Amino acid sequence: MKTLLIFLSVCVTATMAGEPQNVHHAPPKGMVFVPAGNFIMGSKYGDPDEKPQHIADTKAYFIDKYEVSNSEYAEFNPDFTYPKEKENNSVIVTWEQAKAYAVWVGKRLPTEKEWEKAARGTDGRIFPWGNTYDNTFVVWDLRYPRGSAIAKPESPYGCFDMAGSVWEWTADWYKPYPGNDIPMEQYGEQYKVMRGGSNFCNYSFLRTTHRYYIPPNTTGRYPVGFRCVKDIE
Amino acid sequence: MHKSTLYLLLVFSTLLLVPLVFAQKVNDFPKKTDPLHIKVNMFDKLIRGNHWNEGTIMQHVIFPPAGLDRPIIGSQADCLDNTAEMLAAYSYKYALTNNPNDRDFANQLFDGLLKLETVTGIPGLIARSFNKTDKPLWHEKVLWYPMEWHWSTSMKGYRWLGDLSADKFTSLFYTVGIFWELCADYEYKQKAAELLDRFLGRIIDNNFKLTDLDGKMTLWGNFCPNLPHQSLNSLEMLMALKVTYRITGKERYNAAYHMLIDRYHYDDHQLQSKILWPDEWKNPWDDDHAAKSLYMLMRYEDDRSLLIKYRMNLNRHWYDWQNHDFTFVGDVWLIILYQLLTGEDVLTEKRIQGIKDMWGFDRRKSEFKIPTEDGYKIVESEEEGSATAMIRNYWFGRYCGLIDPSW
Repeated sequence: MKTLLIFLSVCVTATMAGEPQNVHHAPPKGMVFVPAGNFIMGSKYGDPDEKPQHIADTKAYFIDKYEVSNSEYAEFNPDFTYPKEKENNSVIVTWEQAKAYAVWVGKRLPTEKEWEKAARGTDGRIFPWGNTYDNTFVVWDLRYPRGSAIAKPESPYGCFDMAGSVWEWTADWYKPYPGNDIPMEQYGEQYKVMRGGSNFCNYSFLRTTHRYYIPPNTTGRYPVGFRCVKDIE
Repeated sequence: MHKSTLYLLLVFSTLLLVPLVFAQKVNDFPKKTDPLHIKVNMFDKLIRGNHWNEGTIMQHVIFPPAGLDRPIIGSQADCLDNTAEMLAAYSYKYALTNNPNDRDFANQLFDGLLKLETVTGIPGLIARSFNKTDKPLWHEKVLWYPMEWHWSTSMKGYRWLGDLSADKFTSLFYTVGIFWELCADYEYKQKAAELLDRFLGRIIDNNFKLTDLDGKMTLWGNFCPNLPHQSLNSLEMLMALKVTYRITGKERYNAAYHMLIDRYHYDDHQLQSKILWPDEWKNPWDDDHAAKSLYMLMRYEDDRSLLIKYRMNLNRHWYDWQNHDFTFVGDVWLIILYQLLTGEDVLTEKRIQGIKDMWGFDRRKSEFKIPTEDGYKIVESEEEGSATAMIRNYWFGRYCGLIDPSW
C-alpha cells in the first residue's frame, strides 16, 4: 500500500510539475534527456543505507547514454594507455580522474539522485529494465565493449549498462538519506558513492538503489568507471 | 685472532645462515611419476609445514625476501576454502584410520575456523583470513580489496579480512558438517553446533543476508528471498539450513528451510544453479560449491519430491561435467561425488588415470610489485599455491572406496 501511495504521489507530482522544465530538449550527441520531477528513491529491502524509500526530485538534465570509454578518456589524458582491442570498453579510473575528465569535456559527475533516476525512471523498478534479472541483460565480462549485453536493455530514459559492466562514480559523498538514523561510521566526507555494480558482485549489487563507498583517490581494485551529466541551460 | 680474519669469518657465517633463515620449512617435492599415495603424503607435509597459519591453511604463500623476513600470505581471499578442504580431508581420513593424531589435527583446523570468528570480535561474523602483525602488510594493498582489512578489536595485534562470500559460506557448512559427522568427539560436536548456530543465526536475523562489519551485505553474500540472487545461492542456503538443523536440532532452521521452499520456491530456483550456456559463463568454482551443497543435501534430505529436484540439479551439472578432462584437480571431486550420489559407474580408465595423476602445486619464482612510500619496488621471490583440494579428493575417494590405497 505504501509503495502504491508513493507511486501515485510521484505520478501526481510529475503531472503537476508543469511544462517549462519538462519540455523535451534535444540532447547533445551521446546523451539522453531526463525530465525534471519526482521519482522513487531508495529501497525497503536493500542495505540499511538504501533506506528509507522516499520521494526525491531533480531538475531536468542530460546524461551520457554509455559509460565513458577508454578511447574517450585517452583524448583527455594522452598518457593513458589501454589495449587496442579495448578502445570501446568502459574506462576504469579514480573519482578524481573522472571529475577532471568531466570538467574538461564541459560536463560533471551525476549526483546520486540523478544517477538513480536515470537508471530506474519514476516507477520504482529494481533494475533499469524492470524487476527480473538475467545474465543476458548485462555486460558480464569486462573483456567486452560497452553496450554489448545480449539483450541490450535500456533504462527508461535510454541509458545502457547502468547495471553491471563497471561501477559508476557519482559526485556525492557517502551520507545517509534524510530520515535514516541507522549509524554507519563510514558516513561523512571520506568516501564517494559508486553505483550500478560491476561484473564481479552478486546480482543484488546491480540494483538501481544499491550504494557502495570507496575513497575518491583510488578504485581499490573495484572496476569503477563513470558517465557524465550536463545541465540544461 | 686477527680482526680482519674475524670479520671474514663473521661474513662467511652470515652468508651460510641467510639461506637457513629464509628457507621454507619443507622443501621436498614428490616426482610426477610417484604413486598417488606418495604424492599426497608429500604435499600434505608441504601444506602442514609451509602453509600453516594458527589453525588455518594459507592458500598462497610468498616466501622471503618478498617484503618480510618470514613467509607471508599472498592473496588470502580463499583461505577459508583451503582450511575447509583440509578439515574435510582429515575428517575422512580419521573415519578410515581412527588415528588420534588425525583427529587432533582436525581439531586444530576446527579451532582455526573458530579463530576466524573470534578475530572479528562479533559472534557469528567470520573472517576470510587473518594475520598476526603489528602493521598492515604490503599485500593488503595489492592482492585484494584494501578496505576489507581491519584491525581486530578482540585479538590485539591481528588484522583480518572481511567481505565473506557465498563460497566461503558453503565451504564452512560442508566442512563443519563432515567434521561433525565423521570426526568430532562430543566436545567438538558441541563447538561445531554452536559455531553454525551463531553464523547462520546472524544471517537469518539479517533476512538471509551475509552482512559485514559495516552492516552492509557482502559482495557475494546474498541469499535473501526479497532480493534477486543467483540460483546457486538458493541451493547453498538450503544446504546450510539442512546441515545446521541436523547438527543443532533447532527447529528454527528446519522452519526456515521449509519457509524458503514453500513461500519463496527456493527448491525451484536452485534447479538452475548450473549455467550451461554460454561457455564463458561457466565457472569451476560454482561447480565446486554446487557439488558441496548437493553432496550434503542429497544425503540428508528424505522428502522424495525434493530429492527429485536436487537430482535434477545434479543431472544438469553432469551434462557439463561429463565432458571435463582431468587437467583440473577440482574435476576429480566432481566425478567421485557424482558416482557416490548416483551409484552410476562413471570411473572410466581415463578418469582413473586422471585421479592417479593428481598434482598439488609447483613452487615458482615470481616478481612482486611491493608498494613503498614513494612508489613501489620489484622483488623476486618464491611462492606456492595450495594442494588442499588434492588431499581432500584423495581422502574422500579413499573413504568412499573409490580410490585404491595402492594407487
